[in-house]
Amino acid sequence: MHGHKTFDSSALPRALTERPRILVQPLESMAAVAETRLVTITINDVELQVPKGELIVESVKRLGLEIPIFCYHARMKPVGMCRMCLVEVGFKQPDGSVRKMPKPQAGCTLPADNNMVIYTDTEMVHRDRKGVLEFLLVNHPLDCPICDRGGECPLQNNTIFYGPSTTRFTELKRHLPKAYPLSQYVTLDLERCIQCGRCVRFTEEISGDAQLAFRFRGSNMQPSTFQLLDFDSKFSGNVIEICPVGALTSAKYRFRARPWDLETSPFNCLECSNHCSVWFDHRAGKFVRMNGRTNEAVNEEWTCDKGKFGQDWINDSNRSVKVMVRKGDAFAESTWSEAYDQIIAAFSGGHCAALIGGKQSNESLFLLGKLFRDGFKSNHLDSRWTRHLTDDALKLAPDTIASLEHKKTILILGTSLADELPMVFLRARKAWFKNGTQVLNVTAKANEADAFATQSLRYDEDHEADVVAGIRLALEGAADDAFALVARRAQVSAADFRAIAKELGPDTAIITSRSIFNVGDAGDVLDGLQAIARKTGCTFNCYAVNGNDAGAEALGLIGGQGSLNTREILEACVNYRVKALWLFDCNPFDLYPDHHLVNDALESVAFLVVQGSNSSSLTPYASVVLPSAAPAEQDGSYVNMEGRLQRGKGMLQAPGDAKPSWRIFSELLLRTAGGTPYFNPSEILQAIGQEVPSFAGVGDGELLKSAVAGGVTA
Amino acid sequence: MSLDLMRDVAKPILAGFGITAQRLKKKKVTISYPDERREQYQRTRWRHYLVRYESGLEKCIGCSLCAGACPARCIYVEADENTDQERYSPGERYAKRYEINMLRCIFCGYCQEACPTGAIVLRQNFELANYERKDFIYTKEMLLEKVPGEADECYNRVPTIR
Ligand code: SF4
Ligand code: SF4
Ligand code: SF4
Ligand code: FES
Repeated sequence: MHGHKTFDSSALPRALTERPRILVQPLESMAAVAETRLVTITINDVELQVPKGELIVESVKRLGLEIPIFCYHARMKPVGMCRMCLVEVGFKQPDGSVRKMPKPQAGCTLPADNNMVIYTDTEMVHRDRKGVLEFLLVNHPLDCPICDRGGECPLQNNTIFYGPSTTRFTELKRHLPKAYPLSQYVTLDLERCIQCGRCVRFTEEISGDAQLAFRFRGSNMQPSTFQLLDFDSKFSGNVIEICPVGALTSAKYRFRARPWDLETSPFNCLECSNHCSVWFDHRAGKFVRMNGRTNEAVNEEWTCDKGKFGQDWINDSNRSVKVMVRKGDAFAESTWSEAYDQIIAAFSGGHCAALIGGKQSNESLFLLGKLFRDGFKSNHLDSRWTRHLTDDALKLAPDTIASLEHKKTILILGTSLADELPMVFLRARKAWFKNGTQVLNVTAKANEADAFATQSLRYDEDHEADVVAGIRLALEGAADDAFALVARRAQVSAADFRAIAKELGPDTAIITSRSIFNVGDAGDVLDGLQAIARKTGCTFNCYAVNGNDAGAEALGLIGGQGSLNTREILEACVNYRVKALWLFDCNPFDLYPDHHLVNDALESVAFLVVQGSNSSSLTPYASVVLPSAAPAEQDGSYVNMEGRLQRGKGMLQAPGDAKPSWRIFSELLLRTAGGTPYFNPSEILQAIGQEVPSFAGVGDGELLKSAVAGGVTA
Repeated sequence: MSLDLMRDVAKPILAGFGITAQRLKKKKVTISYPDERREQYQRTRWRHYLVRYESGLEKCIGCSLCAGACPARCIYVEADENTDQERYSPGERYAKRYEINMLRCIFCGYCQEACPTGAIVLRQNFELANYERKDFIYTKEMLLEKVPGEADECYNRVPTIR
């Protein structure tokens, strides 16, 4: 086949010959695309145009072909360590003949150039692939039946497709420690490692914590942490997914299932406000594991450990499964209708309020709002748990996660990005790593972003307002003595303020998070940052941090005329102005800083509804306990911190009597305000679209209208 | 009249007895089950066993390959990790739960073929009738040999007949 030098492209199906013209735009994920000048190359006798410098391993995909790989990963620099991707290479000579190179080359490190001729399907390539696999398997144990990667293992797949069917190696294989715990999440089986370096490169290039490195040489080479310390990373779970063999496996998933035992469903992680796209794997109605799902706009393909390993509560034996009603001093199992009767009796008349936890769907929140407004005649709802609660400055998030990649400068203020907004952290790092964005990390404590920040500025805790004031002074070109007060309070010198201010410009994004409301003078911080943004023309983002907080705000649930905020609601409970309180999937003791106030409020309030998916320590205070479904057990839509609406489909059965929250509110709404009940979440989302302008016509994965698309710059 | 009777009634009856009488010379093909049981062919595939090594350790490593191969999807395996204190099988992994739904099993033997350790085998015991549906879920306790070699006893038994 490769003998044909004059290939008649008219014999090919149209789609194949036309493809190169359609696909010449450089792919977003491609590594090492230096420029977009097109060159003509020939792959398996098909001529096509690709950007100069595109790696051959990517170019062949344009023809629907595939080269087997192990070490190459489209999001990391190619290293050519495994030699699995060998191809035959030649160059077209002026007379039209092809001069082949005597040896094969690695397709993952070979940039496309004019007149290059590639063969992926010759005798030689097949023999070489067999050889490479035979060598890799010399030291690889035959562990497949007990290996967690078995069934979804690139080494298995490549061996089946391209490898030899038997081995000629009868000597003793390399023996090394098995099931070595690299951290509480990641288990390393050294025998299985094929030394591709993906894990090491991930920690160097993507997460940036550089926790892993290779020790020793040759067949003894081992990925390991420095001095065998714990693999301490906030993104360690990703190396499990990118390891092409079962060398790195999840300690939590260890021996829980084989891939063919699992059902999988697309879902969005709700552990923080980023809402990473994930695959939610479940077996026999139980959650088993979570893996990243590609979504270029949000998480690319990564997940953070907090989300990936933080889903166990769904299977918790401590789930709330029964409707409970207080009868005198005792607490008894009851029915929904009895609970509803009591709730309606207690909540009617308006002296009631609700406090909301993080992971609620837009649909549930919308109906809760409706229930309180129309049914209970109250608008005292809040989902914020920070020390300070202002109503303004909330909808400021002009920058999407992906747009951060192209900023010239990113100023991080007062938030540890890797903890609070893990995907924003990864993008900021990618922006620095790939595009040379300079990152200014201005936080009270040292954190992960220091590793790549051009400037890291530390200040005395709780003095964010002074830091912002200092930067403003520097922008205004104030003299040294003008800084005296802020410099003393924040413990930052005028020179440092100036160094930060100097870098701010129209191509800058300022990033802070809602947890800024926990520091003193949060209002001043926000006002100051907005003033800086106005002065320098940069964008200012105050991203939401928890679950669906952005959705609650976008729905207009929070704040508003005469409504009480979290602190005021708790205080009103203490002095009996609020007589009935609804706790919607939240534990105020965990969330609110002032435990005394919480305790007083819960003890004083006459009627307390504790509704949620996990039974909590709040039960002793409760008048009624209502079990409700977890996000994975109900359909619903959620809004992330950049204002992206994403719909999720429930795939598990809620335990016991638990119902989706929206259904509880819909049933109560019917009993109080009347009207037509809602039967499913899509109906409710439609109603939201009609009532809330920013949701109107917004599809799955699109940005809400007011939030970002319009570009609310400060 | 009597001749007719002779021809139409008595003769067929006698002919019938004749056939019976002829058969008496031949060897009997029926057996009186359940007092007697017929010998099964060597490779008859009926009841499953999970077998043990001579040492008493279980051969099953809980790999679920049998469950993956089963066309009736009637095997459920839940694995766990061996510890030195609590060791069920050699190596790292063992089956904590192993269930076969005998109502759905089609006795194809694919599970036996897929098993990398030869742990699941189908043997000659075909008397699987029961009264309750739930009794057809064979648990690991029911499937596992009590002593090593129990599953193969059927091959050593002297058949009751022929
Ligand atoms: S542990 Fe996995 S990812 Fe890391 S070098 Fe070995 S095979 Fe590659
Ligand atoms: S014999 Fe066939 S149907 Fe029965 S359990 Fe084994 S694989 Fe499944
Ligand atoms: S019986 Fe065999 S195939 Fe089935 S889980 Fe046990 S070892 Fe694996
Ligand atoms: S994929 Fe090219 S050398 Fe590993």
